[in-house]
Amino acid sequence: MTPDSIPVQPVSTLECRSCGAGAPVDEHFCPQCSRILALGRHGDYFSFIGLPRKLTIMPADLERRFRDLSRKFHPDYFYNASPAERIASLERSSYLNDAYRALRSMPTRIEHLLAIEGMPSVTSDESAKVPSGLLEEVFALNEELDEIRESRESGADSNALTARLQSAREPIDAKRAAHEQQLEALASRWDAQVESASPDERRATLEALRERLLERNYINNLLTTIEREVASSGSGNQESGIRRG
Amino acid sequence: MGKVVGIDLGTTNSLVAYVRDGAPVVIRDGSGDALVPSVVSLGEEGTIYVGREAQRRLLTSPGRTVYSVKRFMGRGIEDVRDEAALLPFKVGGDVGGVVRIGLGEREFTPPEISAFVLRELKRRAEDHFRDQGEFDFEVDRAVVTVPAYFNDAQRTATRDAGRIAGLEVLRIISEPTAASLAYGLDTRDRGTIAVYDLGGGTFDISILRVEDGVFQALATNGDTHLGGDDIDRLLVELMLRESGATANGETIQAIRKAVIQAKWDLSEHESTEILVDPLPAYRRRITRGEFEQLIRPLVDRTLGPVKQALADAGLEPREVDEVVLVGGSTRIPLVRRLVEELFGRTPHSDLNPDEVVALGAAVQADILISGRREMLLLDVTPLSLGIETIGGVVSKIIMRNSTIPATGREMYTTSVDNQTAVDIHVVQGERELVADCRSLAHFKLRGIPPMPAGLPRIEVRFQIDANGILGVAARELRTAIEQAIEVKPSYGLTDQEVERMLMESFEHAQADFDARLLIETRNEAETVINATEKSLRRPDFEALTSGELKAGEVDRIHAALSDLKQVMGSTDRDLIHAKTEALNHATKHLAEVVMNRSVREALAGKNVDDV
Repeated sequence: MTPDSIPVQPVSTLECRSCGAGAPVDEHFCPQCSRILALGRHGDYFSFIGLPRKLTIMPADLERRFRDLSRKFHPDYFYNASPAERIASLERSSYLNDAYRALRSMPTRIEHLLAIEGMPSVTSDESAKVPSGLLEEVFALNEELDEIRESRESGADSNALTARLQSAREPIDAKRAAHEQQLEALASRWDAQVESASPDERRATLEALRERLLERNYINNLLTTIEREVASSGSGNQESGIRRG
Repeated sequence: MGKVVGIDLGTTNSLVAYVRDGAPVVIRDGSGDALVPSVVSLGEEGTIYVGREAQRRLLTSPGRTVYSVKRFMGRGIEDVRDEAALLPFKVGGDVGGVVRIGLGEREFTPPEISAFVLRELKRRAEDHFRDQGEFDFEVDRAVVTVPAYFNDAQRTATRDAGRIAGLEVLRIISEPTAASLAYGLDTRDRGTIAVYDLGGGTFDISILRVEDGVFQALATNGDTHLGGDDIDRLLVELMLRESGATANGETIQAIRKAVIQAKWDLSEHESTEILVDPLPAYRRRITRGEFEQLIRPLVDRTLGPVKQALADAGLEPREVDEVVLVGGSTRIPLVRRLVEELFGRTPHSDLNPDEVVALGAAVQADILISGRREMLLLDVTPLSLGIETIGGVVSKIIMRNSTIPATGREMYTTSVDNQTAVDIHVVQGERELVADCRSLAHFKLRGIPPMPAGLPRIEVRFQIDANGILGVAARELRTAIEQAIEVKPSYGLTDQEVERMLMESFEHAQADFDARLLIETRNEAETVINATEKSLRRPDFEALTSGELKAGEVDRIHAALSDLKQVMGSTDRDLIHAKTEALNHATKHLAEVVMNRSVREALAGKNVDDV
């Protein structure tokens, strides 16, 4: 989902395909002929939606911007327009929807910020490695899971196993709650640094954000594993298996 | 430019609507009927019958008549083999290809069958506009609805059906969101709506947020194989078991007709009689309690998707402000009760659940052509889109419940030196293994510049458009060369096939005026027969008529009814017309008695201000 693979194009102006006039990249409509502009530059959801590059976003504000821009770009309103405008409307609507989805939650917002600030992307390979801050918990959990699997194979009561699994996830749940807080705190620090801090200070914050994000992904994977075990522990409660944290 | 309409292409019935003076209206036939049964029959002489006439032929020519074809749209034979066993028409096709339906000596794909229904709706709308004195009455464009949970192949098949019928499909929209548009016309400005849509063949649940005229779907879920058809099948199986009748095409259709009537009756009465006529003559009383016990497991199956959709939208049932019921099967009291219990509020059903989807489609059609911006529908893709990676594992590119249009990207490279083509397998679904997901298409990426292995950087862009239909484009980033992409749809038709079918439909189209008139006469006759039988079957019939009807009147009605039924199969239009008139005459007094009774009942216990 992160647009890491997208080359940042060194374009500072757009050319309107309808009238040929030039337009600043942050414009959505041509200042000359007021037609919708083709999506020339990719990569920054914040500026596209008209927000500063900050991690604290008021949900109501994001929703309002999303609705307002949807009303401007949506392909529904371009049925009778020229082919160039129709393509532009599809591109801008899609990009808006992608931006809205990424900015709606803190973790995806951070991922996007890391990408546009030139940080290496959070790959799944890297997320599979146990983060050093979690070694103890992961070790304990794996032992517990092994024991639970063994007792299930020897026919132990499934309700008791489910209860054990639930208590096994408690320390992990606690870790996750702590992580959410750390992410929030780092996000506030970033927001305060955007305009004033030195590049090195900002870089340090971004690296800390990235590390927390990797840990968070790892924790989520662990929780998914536990939920799968709960689902297959024979209590018949399949629904918990499809819930995601 | 011709006219633009909204079409609800349903499993059981289809209908067409348009916006007149700013408000959506459904188009009815001469006898006030808006529903066109989604049934198609191939006459022995090669004529294609659609709607009521085709429905009648279910009893006489079951092997040449197809219904519920929507369940086969965008599917393969391996998906539908089980249910095909109980159907009187032939369902075939090659494994891994599109389903083929055999009617008599000809074979059709599901989009071709649906195209016959669409063409009938187009004709009905054109007749209507002509009658309105419109100079330009041709209908050439339409918004067509599909279940929210339809996948890409099913949506594409629906669009193909439109093309074969000579309609440009302006937009495919989902049925629950269409219904919310119809409801949104005069309801609240903001809030959260749940649309529970249980139709003839499919179940959908959609959760939407409405604000400033923007209808934004938050989550959707459903089951494309759950609906009234399944209820009918349970009842048919029960009757077959109990009566010991052999299951041939004629028998199944006779039983099916009887149980559907009983199902309808049970929405209004506590008990009714299943009356199989003429063969095998069998009757059985069934209470609403028995019926509910039988169908309870089916209705319960809707609850899982509802809970999942709520979870995806991040909502508790109590946080939903309005619940809207759509689809004929929501007339069943048990369904209403369960929905009410789940959400803790009385669901809306002010609009006719059979018509509300078509009305919404008409509203969307009007938005598209008028450019009016008061309302905007933002739908989501119901299923995640992914590509096959090493080991048959799915890598998801666009997650389910993403607002559409949406894009996804993936980088590819080559694994051997000077490789010039790459295969991409696109699937849809939530599971992790390719084998558990729906195969959509194989794309072949060609014309990669020869380079050492691993050096090309090919960016493949997946675009889901506002119809929920996938498009793919690719570019090699080092050379900026756009790649040619060859698509092989897994369960769809190629463009050439669609073109050929469109041409064939012109050759086979027999707009035989006499046949058309005969069909209309039969439709009229059937309306009168149904109304008469409904009155005769009323549980309070004895009480109602004692003292009110003259001696011998009931006998005369039975005689006229049986006379008319006898000539229904005839091709003599005047004869059918005469017998219809006779039955109309014989039942005139009965109709008055029933009407008076209903009016009295409606007024009883109300004061004058309420009326």
